[in-house]
Amino acid sequence: MWTGMWFSVACKRIVGTLRSILRKEDLDLELDTELRSYLDLVADEKMLGGMSRDDAYRQARIELGGVEQVKEKVRDRRVGARLDVLLQDLHYAGRDLRKNVGFTVVAVTILAVGIGATTALFSNVHSVLVRGVGYPEADRLVILRKSFDGRNSGPLSRLDYYDFRDSSETLEDIASFATYGLGAVLSDGPTPERIRVGFATWNLFSILGARPILGRGFLLSDEEVGGSNAVLISEGLWKRRFGSSSDAAGATIRIDGMARTIAGVLPGTFRFIDEADVWVLIDRDGPFDPLRDQHSVLGLGRITSSATLDQARVEMEGIAARLAKIYPDTNAGKSVSLTPLQDYMVRNVRLGLLLLMATTVLVLILACGNVAGLFLSRGERRMSEMAMRSALGASRGRLVRQLLTESLLLTSFAGILGVGIAYLLNGLILRLIPIGEIGIDRPAIHATALWFAVFISIGTGLLVGLVPALRTAGKRPAEHIWSGARSSATGRSATLRSGLVVLQVAVSIALLVASGLMIRSLANLSAAELGFDTDHLLTGNVQVQGSDYGTPEETVRFFVDLRDEIASQPGVVSAALISKLPIINPWTDWGIWPADAPPPSARDMDYAMARYVSSGYFETMGIPLIAGRDIRPSDRMGTEDVVVISESTARTLFGDEAALDRLVGIGWTERSFRIVGVVGDAKLNLVRDDANRAMYMAMAQGGASFMNLAVRTTADPESLSGQIEDIVRGRDPNALFADAVSMESVLSEDLAGFRTVIMSLALFAGLAMALTAIGLYGVLAYHVGTRRREFGIRRAVGATDGAVLGMVLGRGLSLVGIGLLAGLAVAYPGTLLVRQLLVETTPIDPLSNAGAVGFLVLVAAGACLVPALRATRTDIMQVLRTE
Amino acid sequence: MARRKISGKADLVRGTLDMLILKTLSLEPLHGLGVSKRIDQISGGVFTVKPGSLFPALHRLEQEGWVRGTWGESENKRRAKFYELTPDGRRRLGEERASWGQAVRAITKVLEAT
Repeated sequence: MWTGMWFSVACKRIVGTLRSILRKEDLDLELDTELRSYLDLVADEKMLGGMSRDDAYRQARIELGGVEQVKEKVRDRRVGARLDVLLQDLHYAGRDLRKNVGFTVVAVTILAVGIGATTALFSNVHSVLVRGVGYPEADRLVILRKSFDGRNSGPLSRLDYYDFRDSSETLEDIASFATYGLGAVLSDGPTPERIRVGFATWNLFSILGARPILGRGFLLSDEEVGGSNAVLISEGLWKRRFGSSSDAAGATIRIDGMARTIAGVLPGTFRFIDEADVWVLIDRDGPFDPLRDQHSVLGLGRITSSATLDQARVEMEGIAARLAKIYPDTNAGKSVSLTPLQDYMVRNVRLGLLLLMATTVLVLILACGNVAGLFLSRGERRMSEMAMRSALGASRGRLVRQLLTESLLLTSFAGILGVGIAYLLNGLILRLIPIGEIGIDRPAIHATALWFAVFISIGTGLLVGLVPALRTAGKRPAEHIWSGARSSATGRSATLRSGLVVLQVAVSIALLVASGLMIRSLANLSAAELGFDTDHLLTGNVQVQGSDYGTPEETVRFFVDLRDEIASQPGVVSAALISKLPIINPWTDWGIWPADAPPPSARDMDYAMARYVSSGYFETMGIPLIAGRDIRPSDRMGTEDVVVISESTARTLFGDEAALDRLVGIGWTERSFRIVGVVGDAKLNLVRDDANRAMYMAMAQGGASFMNLAVRTTADPESLSGQIEDIVRGRDPNALFADAVSMESVLSEDLAGFRTVIMSLALFAGLAMALTAIGLYGVLAYHVGTRRREFGIRRAVGATDGAVLGMVLGRGLSLVGIGLLAGLAVAYPGTLLVRQLLVETTPIDPLSNAGAVGFLVLVAAGACLVPALRATRTDIMQVLRTE
Repeated sequence: MARRKISGKADLVRGTLDMLILKTLSLEPLHGLGVSKRIDQISGGVFTVKPGSLFPALHRLEQEGWVRGTWGESENKRRAKFYELTPDGRRRLGEERASWGQAVRAITKVLEAT
């Protein structure tokens, strides 16, 4: 019954709306007649009272309160009046914008760039930080890492993982995995190929909700001892090696010489943390040792739908406390920390993205400032029009609405254009920020981003139009007519525009200071003390297949001979091998302790980056030998185990005592190592970090089928890579030499993401400067325009050019000065926020601050100069003639 | 625009103009001037309805279908638009009266609370 009534009312409304629009003229005509008859009736009465006809009608009209005003009020209250008014406003707005093509083009362009950039960045921020990883119900996925007393996050121990998996009730299932870009050689087919291997427990893929596009996924039974030796391969490898043939499922491939059966093919869209061509089951033969104080796998858990993250965390603490009681030696103080998968995956790009987003929004605000300024000055010129409309019966609300329609129409155009620009920029941003590399689908502009564009278009429309509209429509018509051309009214709106300029200067200086800081910090990074010499250094890696060599000694001999042959090549100064190169292969730290005491418990252990090196490594890298000797070719299997430690490792272990000749225990080697040398500290993991503690053991006393090569050259390092590849192949046709690249280019790539953020920031700062300069110019030009008569008179009575110039410049620069002070005050806390991105530069960096201020003042002075010069050219006669 | 209140006159309570017009028209069809005069007269000069409020309200009521306007001749032979109540309008008046009565009773209770 209610719906029925509602329906009939709605129908009436619609019919009424249509009628009042379609029959508008009839209705207006009728209203006109009605009001005239009303006047007649009132006048009749007055004439009966003895008034003259003219007086009676005059009086009647006064009592009516303006025929046009009453008509307008009736029209406003009609059903559908709003729609009608809107159509009318759109019509007027379109006409006005068409009439002022220059104004429209400038305003639309400025806003479109602002809206486009903001939309593109929003779409990225939204994809990466909000929508995130593309797994089903990804918000319930968490990464498990170990922690000691709440810090020292890192991989889990495999045994702890089993305990957590089996005891947890808040986590549906937990998988473990290791994807450090581990390499292997795929040896069947015409040429061996180096592939990336990921290790995982069988349930990783079911937790992630990934289904193979061919064959089957892992099964629990695959994991049993003597299981099926199954692997999953990527769609890319499937295409490369099998030409997308369905025969691939069940086929055998040889990885590092070992036969494996392909169980299934993962879809090309599947990506998890690091890319992998082949996924191998961790529990059959991953390179992981079964000790509780060895931490080498990460966990991935899915929280049950009935539990919360906090509940799961509490449960983890409980399980950890129980384990600590059972295994006090290894698990005291140890727990598992849960990080939402999303947060874990975006950790490296979050700050940069948010910074860019904030910057873009600031630039959009600047653009709004400029367009609002344009509207304000246009409003001044339209005062007479508005006064006229007001006299003809338009209410103030109606005028404001009409002006707002204009600015909204304008920003809608800008919004549509902006979306186009956003598509262009999105491609650019994707190329600049390594979003694909963090394991997240590349963001596309999607519905949410488009809604965002609509939202900010309307927002900017209101922002840009509201104040000018209120200002313009606020005047009473009579006041305008009395005040003549322009005087009191212009004063207030000039103040408003000046305020806008001050705001723009403030934002610009904040952006300039920030980008100045970042650029300085980039310069610091490039010159950062890495602890080794990057000049003329070629790096690469050599992989042999373990099964080709009977004993570890044979593998070692291959590498030693290879090094000797490379070192003897013309153009090569020296060559060396290491298990992990600085920056290129980060992490892997092992415990180290003086061997005269029992090994400390895991929580008190000192850790250092563990590396195996050949002789000549320190010389090749340019790492200074501070005491003792280098690793020698004579340090081999069967002789005393030796280690070279870095200065900071020595200081940590022995304080001021001499470290040389002491014995240390290392990791889980169950051997004692004699410290034979101490070398300088170097950055092994991140350029933007401190140098790392390190220990270097002898390659010949460890043995591996994969080593990295460092070659110091006299010529261009990368020109030698072909020659070295030939040598490697000549010694072992199954060996692979890969990733040959100069250390210089590795470092510049490492800084690329950082540089991108800086470049964009600088670009935005430049854009902000340009917008500010335009705004400043506009304000001063207008200012000079209104004071032409005054300047003319001043010049006529003898003011020099310099005095007039000084007056205008003084006004412009005083605005700049206020903005500068405000901006610097805001910039300081702002730069504290970006501190995480800064290296060796404090937020109050006098050089970059002074540079930014100087640059801005220079540009501002340039923008002021043109109107100022025009002021000096005012000719009193001309002014008088035009007035 | 602020208008100073003349003593003896009260501002119309918001939202009651429609009800007053409907009530006035329920007695007999009237033209615009007639409506405003009748309200003035019945209220003993307390309420004066200005044309700027009267005509918008009348037209709105007509569009809602609560009153119907027809052109006729005034007492002094002038052409004028007369408004009369429709059955819908009569129902509407009933509703408005009921809710008004409710509001008045409630306000009275509040004012008389000790």
